[in-house]
Amino acid sequence: MLNVKLIETLSLIMIITSLMAVETHNLKRAAAAYCVQALLICGLIFAFAAANPALYLWAVVALATKAIATPWLLIYYVGKTGLKEAKAIIGFGPSVLIASLLLITSYSLTHHYVHFLAPTAEAAQGVFRTNLAVSMTVFSLGLYAILSRRDAIKTVIGLCLLENAVHLSLVSLAPHLRETALVGIATEVVITVALLLYVIAGIKEQVGTTDTFELSELHW
Amino acid sequence: MPLHNEVVSVLPLALCLIPAALAVVIYPLTRAARALGPALNLLGSAAATALAAALTAHAMRGEVVVAMGREFRVDGLSALLVLVISFISLAASVYAISYMRLEPLLGRVAQEEGEERSERRLAVFYALWQAFLATMLWACLTNNIIALYVAVEASTIASGLLVAFYWDRRALEAAYKYLMLLTVGIAFALLGCVLLYASAAPHLADKTGLTAMLISDLPAAAAAIPRSMALLIMACFIVGFGTKAGLAPFHPWLPDAHAEAPGPVSALLSGVMIKMAIYALVRTLGVFFPIATYHPVSVFFIALAAFTMLLGGVMCLAQDDLKRMLAYSSVSQMGYIAAGLGMVGLGFGRELGYLAGYGAIFHLLNHALCKSLLFLAVGAVIYVTAGRRISELHGLARKMPATAVCFFVAALAISGVPPFNGFWSKLTIYFAAAEARLWWAFGIALATSLLTLIAFVRAGFRVFWGEGDYPEEAAEEGDQRALSEAGRDPLEGEAPVTMLIPMIVLAALCVLIGIFPNLVYPIIDPAARALAAIF
Repeated sequence: MLNVKLIETLSLIMIITSLMAVETHNLKRAAAAYCVQALLICGLIFAFAAANPALYLWAVVALATKAIATPWLLIYYVGKTGLKEAKAIIGFGPSVLIASLLLITSYSLTHHYVHFLAPTAEAAQGVFRTNLAVSMTVFSLGLYAILSRRDAIKTVIGLCLLENAVHLSLVSLAPHLRETALVGIATEVVITVALLLYVIAGIKEQVGTTDTFELSELHW
Repeated sequence: MPLHNEVVSVLPLALCLIPAALAVVIYPLTRAARALGPALNLLGSAAATALAAALTAHAMRGEVVVAMGREFRVDGLSALLVLVISFISLAASVYAISYMRLEPLLGRVAQEEGEERSERRLAVFYALWQAFLATMLWACLTNNIIALYVAVEASTIASGLLVAFYWDRRALEAAYKYLMLLTVGIAFALLGCVLLYASAAPHLADKTGLTAMLISDLPAAAAAIPRSMALLIMACFIVGFGTKAGLAPFHPWLPDAHAEAPGPVSALLSGVMIKMAIYALVRTLGVFFPIATYHPVSVFFIALAAFTMLLGGVMCLAQDDLKRMLAYSSVSQMGYIAAGLGMVGLGFGRELGYLAGYGAIFHLLNHALCKSLLFLAVGAVIYVTAGRRISELHGLARKMPATAVCFFVAALAISGVPPFNGFWSKLTIYFAAAEARLWWAFGIALATSLLTLIAFVRAGFRVFWGEGDYPEEAAEEGDQRALSEAGRDPLEGEAPVTMLIPMIVLAALCVLIGIFPNLVYPIIDPAARALAAIF
């Protein structure tokens, strides 16, 4: 049977780590927070696997791509481009406030109006409902990071959060998805992140900064 | 179990696997012998064109080719797309033989980082080209909705480093925007694909969920999907695949990426990649086309398309950089194609649907021909003059007569001037808009055509026939930024023959289709029938 308490605890901690990954200005710490978040996702998928054994493989794939490969890439490139994040558009205090508000609204909205999002009756109930609400919360946090951060590496971390959220939502949305499709989706995200970081390292080399506001050669 | 008009064949698999296999072997082989890179690239594109032609022959007989238990399914629409993609890739790979030589194009790069590294870079370039080709073909051949997402995202991955090829400030900025915006956009498409799959699965006969992955089976379950869910799915598709197709307001990556990539890559990006994205969009949105209650979504989509064409047309006028001008014109022309496809939704299963589908597909074909020709012609200008600003170029017609003629053929064709091919496809879309009584769309489309004509004639006249230089503007621009493809002295005379041949072939096709528009009827008719479900 599904361990409801465990799933809810893991979900809560996961949201907090996502918030940390978005808000901390030290990029290595942000990468570490992201790594913890990815590990929690693996734990969550593992917990769901009690009801659907196919998910064990998902957990392994998520571990390899999200909790090992992606953080390693992030830390490797942060070592090349520098620890400190370029100044964000919004200051630390207001940003934490905005992110927390975003978190609470998106969680309560998706939890309340889950029927708009759940394709099946099963996905709208119990832990699957919690799972969907958590995914959408992390999704909106990732999107917020991409939109509000000037640092290119930080936007990549935002992208990783967003992709993790989509991946996690698949547990509720499409638990019977074939493994090949899943491996394809997970691998592509890692390759995209690797390419983005490679390009950002090139930008650092050519322009001397990872601040996207300095990238103004191409206007409109 | 194949249906009555379905033919099982290995063609679709071979079409995907040949470029994919080449992508793997091309790097080591090019490192062994430099000449193998362009040769194998040409071979891969030529083989793909031959196989795509064979698939098109099936489609012209009214057959649907399937493979791997209908995982791959090629109807008239898919066949036309793969034919266009492989043919443009063939033309661009002939062009790339001279354009992508180590010198003079790579002269600057080679000086900076040594010949060894430049050669390695060129080997990667050809490997990525074939990978890019393979992923685009895969996206148009697959019948699996999750594989469609995977293929579309894979095409972004394969082309990311092609955009960044010159590895300077501008190219890197363009590549960063390209990868970031397209990946975020496509995450929405994944959400849409998964929601559609999951919500359709319970309503299909096969409860295992295996058939729900097959796009061709989904329309049977579409009516059973709750309205709010269907709207959410459609919104995800429009944002997701619409970003990749360059629809406004999700287009900001497009002018950067298409302008900063090397010439032949721009021809692929603008000529066919965005077509593949609009194909993915219409394949997935098309699941809901048979349901009349979703007509307002189609009207909304047409409005978005009209906004796209107008915005692209206006921005096109404001550009001084030739390649950026072409890129914005692509945004605008995607608006025409999208408007036509939206009208298919309005007239699905009726004559209006067929008419609009015919216009949209015809314009897709014409735009692929014209826009790749334009990028190749501008590439030739850059190759010879090492400059790309309209304000800095003048009087090139004497030096490069063939390029000038090709540019003007394509420019007039894309603006919809008779007797070129673009005139007929735009006319068909106007007719469809009139038939659907969408007079606002009709007006915007007509006005945008005029804007396009003005922008292209003004730029072309200045670059090819203008006299003297324009010191004021040039001084105003001031900054001597290193343009990606510049940084060296101009060459003498016309572009090399291997660059001119593909341009002349494309220009000849523009004229030929313009004079005999029925030449392409046999390949567009099955595509329009597949789109509008008229058999």
